[in-house]
Order: sequence, then structure tokens, then C-alpha cells
Amino acid sequence: MNEHPDPRGPTYRLPSPPPPDPTGWYELRRRARTVWPPGDRAWASLFALAVSAAGLFGLWFQATLPGRLPSPTDWKAAAAVITREARPGDAVVLAPPWAERAREILPERIPARPEVALPILAFPSLDPEEDLRGVRRVWLLSFPGAPGGTGPVASRLAPRAASVEGPMQLGQLELTRYDLETPVLPLWSLVDRLPSASVQTRDARVTAETREVGFLPRSCVVARWSGPGLDPVVIRLASLPLGISLVGRVALAGNAPGGGASVRVKVDGVEVARADATPGRPAGQPLRFDASRLPPASHEVTVEIVPSGPVPGGVCIDLAALP
Amino acid sequence: MTARRIISLSWAAGVLALAAATSPAVGISRDESVYVEAAASYARFWPEAIRDPARVLATADRRYAPNHEHPGFAKGLFGLTRTALFDIAGVTGEVQGSRAGAWLLASFLALLLSLWGCELAGTLGGALAPAFFFLVPRNFWHVHPAVLDLPVTALMLATTYAFWRSTSASRGRLSTAGWAFASGLLLGAALGTKHNAWFLPPVLACAWLVGSFRGRQESHGPASEGAVGTVRGHRFPWALVAMAVLGPVVLVATWPWLWHHTLPRVQAWLGYHLHHENYPWMYMGTLLREPPFPVAYPVVVTALTVPAAILVAMVGGLLQSAARIVAAWRGRAPAVSIPTEWLLLLSSLFPIALIAWPSVPHFGGVKHWLPAMPFLALLGARALVTTGRLLWPARAGAVTGVLALLALAPAAWQVAHVHPFGTAAWNEIAGGAPGAATMGMQRQFWGDSTVAVLPAVNAHAAPGARVWFQETTALAARQYQRDGRLRRDLAVAAGPEDADVSIWQYHQEFRDREFRTWTEFRTARPVAGVLLDEVPLVQVYARPGAWR
Repeated sequence: MNEHPDPRGPTYRLPSPPPPDPTGWYELRRRARTVWPPGDRAWASLFALAVSAAGLFGLWFQATLPGRLPSPTDWKAAAAVITREARPGDAVVLAPPWAERAREILPERIPARPEVALPILAFPSLDPEEDLRGVRRVWLLSFPGAPGGTGPVASRLAPRAASVEGPMQLGQLELTRYDLETPVLPLWSLVDRLPSASVQTRDARVTAETREVGFLPRSCVVARWSGPGLDPVVIRLASLPLGISLVGRVALAGNAPGGGASVRVKVDGVEVARADATPGRPAGQPLRFDASRLPPASHEVTVEIVPSGPVPGGVCIDLAALP
Repeated sequence: MTARRIISLSWAAGVLALAAATSPAVGISRDESVYVEAAASYARFWPEAIRDPARVLATADRRYAPNHEHPGFAKGLFGLTRTALFDIAGVTGEVQGSRAGAWLLASFLALLLSLWGCELAGTLGGALAPAFFFLVPRNFWHVHPAVLDLPVTALMLATTYAFWRSTSASRGRLSTAGWAFASGLLLGAALGTKHNAWFLPPVLACAWLVGSFRGRQESHGPASEGAVGTVRGHRFPWALVAMAVLGPVVLVATWPWLWHHTLPRVQAWLGYHLHHENYPWMYMGTLLREPPFPVAYPVVVTALTVPAAILVAMVGGLLQSAARIVAAWRGRAPAVSIPTEWLLLLSSLFPIALIAWPSVPHFGGVKHWLPAMPFLALLGARALVTTGRLLWPARAGAVTGVLALLALAPAAWQVAHVHPFGTAAWNEIAGGAPGAATMGMQRQFWGDSTVAVLPAVNAHAAPGARVWFQETTALAARQYQRDGRLRRDLAVAAGPEDADVSIWQYHQEFRDREFRTWTEFRTARPVAGVLLDEVPLVQVYARPGAWR
């Protein structure tokens, strides 16, 4: 049996008082030490919980994925709406941009006007400098349930729209129509005018093509040098209205490695804009000229392309006059 | 027969049978088309060399001329199985016959994983470890083609296993010297398969060295008696000596191309890989073209391709291994073999760390760090078995079984769902193929997805049409024709300008070729395609009149 010490005895001492703990820190630390480090069973429980949660998440993902994506019926419904409603000046924008099954299913031309194309555009993001040239109305075709989301295109289209119609729910597809407030409708473009232009070159080939610029398909005039000679190319467009500005872009088609090229735009023989296509700049360089101070008469526009070395993929030049 | 042997042999037989059954759906990849041709040429070397030994060097130069970027062992094996199954027995086509060599090595990998899993975590460990490897969709895809990544992974695992057996107490029937000899031969076979095996001996030496420091651990556990990492008064890792001697001998013996002009040819071979081209590769919306590449790349791609529950188990296994080293170091875990833990940890992490190096080319999905995957599978399986034992010792098997079912069921579902498009597989964390496409990850590689549109091309292409196969090589197109999978009247075109039909496989770096096709064919509308969860992998375009 333990004996209690004699409180009057010479060896008796009071236990030392606990350290002052006004903030509660020492108490918190004492308590934490009772739970940390956890024992092996606690770690095992945590691990089992994590594996189970991940496994259940995996099962849920696999089970629900097909239902989050459009079915063939959804695609047919979207094609039917666009076939019925589309008119010249319309374009389809895909969100997410990889939803390119649309190219296989949607009409490639306006059904009521087969001579007019219905562009199907797949922008990873719709940057402010993307002017949607020639488009009055955008049909945004989106998969709202797709893993990873639909990207920023819808939120960037909305401020440009005068009115928005929809969204129309077509199964797992959504179709929304944006009527653009200020559509950019060019007076002319270099691609359209190429057949009537005068082209001076010794051994270059100049054609209108769709090529990759900054990962996107762009219609442009491509100058390509097949032989060792790198003589300049001159494209002359006679008697054209300029509107308020000339806009365009110069880039190496397909961002192919090799040399670059310098492009000069002249109006009535006077250089008004210049841009360089160089490797490592996949989106190219813009061309811009404020033509508002020029008299509203017709002018001669000349585009000179001077390569600085072999350009295996060709130089892609886009130029248009805006009213 | 013991339960362990039954499990291991069942795994080996099961993988072999499954590979053979699921292989025809997998297309011919770029490299495979070259290796199949090379294997056919290598297979002719031995009979010719035996018939005319005086001209053996000239024969070697001629027969081994195709594809001397990689050595001869695995391709020689592909040639052997092709000769047996296609040329002699006639039971397969030439491609499947060549692939049988790869299936055999995949089966060997399953056997080894199961055996080592049994050693580390009992029969349940042996049953689970191969599942943790083969139910990763990209790993499962690599079982099929006659390429070098899974073979070298199997042989590196085998070398490491033999090294481990040679230096630990669990030697089985072979002596230390026997296992050392085996590890030397196996390293030679690995070196004779692909150059990444050269990194193995330094990793093993490193594991032995760091494992020799045991902190306060006074005695070895039963699994580590006389273990790998002991230095003072203990066994020297003779396996490393055997590797240094036998490795190069086997490499040269199985690659007759090196039988003369050996040194300059070895220099040319290694020089090719030291200055390897950097193929463009999409990663997080950026096209990687030149170094420095992102250090996180292999870690991120692993995290987005291994099914989530298996990934969690693997990470848990890594942490468990590190915790076991720390506990043993502090003298709290006498049964733990520190050298074994180091061996497993370094073998799991080194291949990933190697590819993380910013100047190492980053392409080819996960294949360049595939040798890490068997070790991660072993660690994941052991972690799950340990968890079962800790949570409910009386029903440990049942607890582990339930956890394994939860971990492996979604992975098996994913494997079945993405097959045969394994190079396009992304896990649920990435959001599958759609999530990865939105993130801007590489959609696929190697040109094998073309196989899925061949029936449509056979049905609709105009007679004699010229077909541009883009990423699929002309060799592969001819192999499809010889195997009866592509119409023989179709010709191979050099580009969209030269073609009537264009089989375009989605690669961001080659997008310009698709747009050139639009210009050339005057249409942007595909006539057929292959999509994985709505994500286009292949789109077929045709000139007007070329598709009927």
C-alpha cells in the first residue's frame, strides 16, 4: 500500500505549477501529440479510404461518361436544325474545339444556297483579335456535360452579340445562336481577288489555300518557292476600294522550320504596312493600315513578298479591306 | 504444385492467351512496321550463317542492315516466332507471328511480377501485382505490338529480380552464383533489346550501396539475411560483376551486326541515341519542340494515365516503402530489409526521374519510363495486402480482396473501353480522352489507330485509289495488305496532293497536313472517322468520286 507523504515532513514539495499558457498553445500541442503520429492502423484506414474513394470515382466516371456525350440522335437533331435555319453569313463554332465530328455530320454548305459555305470553326479560345470576318451569326454547338468543360468560347461570344437565342437542348448537345452586334464584313479579300490579280514571279507558286497558322485553319494566299531561286513575288490588285482599313496577317504556313519572309503592302506605290513571317512565331505577325484618310476612290494595292531563305511550307498572307 | 506456382503460371498463361486474343484489333505502329521487316531479315541470318560459315560476317552485314538503331535480341525473338508461326506453321499472319515474341515476354513479365509479389506479400501479393501492371490501359496496349518497350521492361525486371535473389536469403533452388550468372545473362538480353538497360547496373549498384547503411537496425529480417546492401563482413554483390562481364558478351552475341567493326558500330549506335531528334509533343496546350522540357512531364503524364485507384495504391506503396526504411533505420522494424526497400524504391523512381531531365527527349507517351511500372505495381500490391492485414487481421484476405476489387474494377473497365486505342488512353483524373483533349495533351501517337478505318476504306475506296496513310508507314500499309486486311489494289500516296483518299490521324504538330488535304480535295468534310468518346483520332477524306 502506498503511503501518503507527511505534509509537514521536510521532504515534501508541492508539484511545480504548470507553465503559464494564456494562448492555449501548450495544451493544443499536448493534445496533438496524442493523435500524431498516427498508428499503423490509422494510416491503413486512410489508405483504404483513399483507394476506395478513387475506385468509386473511377466506376462513376466510366459509368456516366457515355451519358455525358452526345448520341448519334443528338447529332442528327443538331444537323436538322442547322440545315433548316442556316443562312449566308452563318458559321458554326464548336465548344469544346475538339468536337470535330460536326464536320462529318453538319452541312458543309448552306442548304438553301449551295454556293455559300457554312464555316465550322474550332477555336481553343476566342481571342479578342479573332474578328470572325464575314460572319453575321454564330451557332455555338457545345457539349455542356463533356469532361473538361466547353472552354471559354461561349463567355467570349456573349459580349459580341446583339441578341442570343437559345440554348436549345438537343440531348447532350446545346445549340445557341449569337447574332453579332458588329459583324466584320470585308469589302474584299486577297484570297477572293487572287484569280483576277496580276502575279509577278520567276519560280514561285502562288495559290489560295487553307493552311495552319497558330494551330488554326486559315484561308490565305500562299507563296511557295520550289527551286533554289528566292526571287520576290509581287501581287498587284488594280482599282479597289480600301474602306477604313486594311487588315491581315503574315505567317509561315504550318510553322515549318526554315527561313522567313518579309511582306510589304503598298497602296498606289507607297508602302503602308509591313510584317515578317519568321520561324518560332506560329501565329505570325499582323498587318494593319488605317485607310480612313485616303480619298474614297479606288486604289492599286500591291503585296510584295521577299523571302530571306528557303521557305519549305510557304508564306501565308491574309489581307482584307474593312468598310 | 504450390499455390504460388499455380498463381504465377496462371498469370503467365492468362496474359499470353489474352494478348493473342486481343492483338488483331491493335494496329501496326510506326516502329513496329520497321521491326517486323527487320525481324524477318534477322531470322534469315542464322540458317544462312550455318550454311555458309565462311561468309558469316558478310551475311550479318546484309541481314542486320535493317534498323541498326536498336540491337538484335528482341527483334531476333520476333523473327523466331514469325518463322515458327507464319513461315512454317502458317497459323498466323506475318505481323501476329512477329508479335508472338512480344507476347512471350509479356507473359514472362507477368510470371516474374507474380513470383516477386508472392515473395514480398504472400500469395495475395502474387495475385495482385500483375493486375496492377496489366490493368493500366497504356501498359496493356504495350503487351501487343512487336516493339521494344515492354520487352525491355520485362528483361529489366528479370535482371533486377535475379540480382535481388542473388543477394538475399530467398535464393530458392539456385545458389548465389547461379542467380548472379542469371542476372548477367538477363542484363545482356535487356541490353540486346534497348539501350535504356544501360542505366540498370548503376541503379542496382546504388541500391546496394545505400542499402548498406542500416542506421540503428541491429539484425536483418528473415527476408534480408545476408542481404543486398551489406558491406562489412557480408556478401559482395557478385551479380554486378556477372553483369559487367556477361552483359556486353550477350549483347554482341545476339547482335551479329557487332561481330566486326564492333567499336565504331557501338559508338554509332549510342551516338544516335545521345543525339536523338526531339519529336514535337503536345503537353498542356503547348507543342514541345526543343529542350528544356518540363521537369514535371513524366509525373503529370503518369498521374493522368494510370487509373486513379491504382495510382493511389502505387503512391501508397511508395510511401510505405519509404516509411519502412525510416522505421528500420530507427531500429523499430527488425524484419524489414532496408536494401530490398531501396531496390524497389530506386527501381520505381529512377526511370521517371531520368525522363524528367529537361534535355531528355519527351515523346512516346509513357513508354520511356515503362520499366518503372512493374516496381510500382509490386509496391501497390504490397501496400494493399498490408492494409488488409492491419485493418482486420482475422479477415485480411477479404479486406484486401474488397479493396483490390475497388481498385481494379474501374481499371479493367477502362482497359476494355479504350482497347485498341491504348496510346490515346487518359484516366478519370484527366477526364478521359475528352478531358485530355480539352487540356491540350497529346491525343495519340505511332499511327496504329488507322487499323479501325481499314474496313471502311476497303468497302468504299474507288478501285486503284491512291491512299495517303500519314503517320502510318508505307511498310505498315504493305503489311496490312499482305495480311489480307487492306485491299491489294490500293496504292500508297506520298502526301495529300498525290492522294485520292487521305487517312488523317490527329496530331497537332501535323495539323497543316489536314488543312492541305482540305485545299487539295476541296472539302473539309470527312467521309469516315474513328472517335474515342467523341474525340476524333482518325478522319478519312476523299476526293470527289474516290469514295463510293
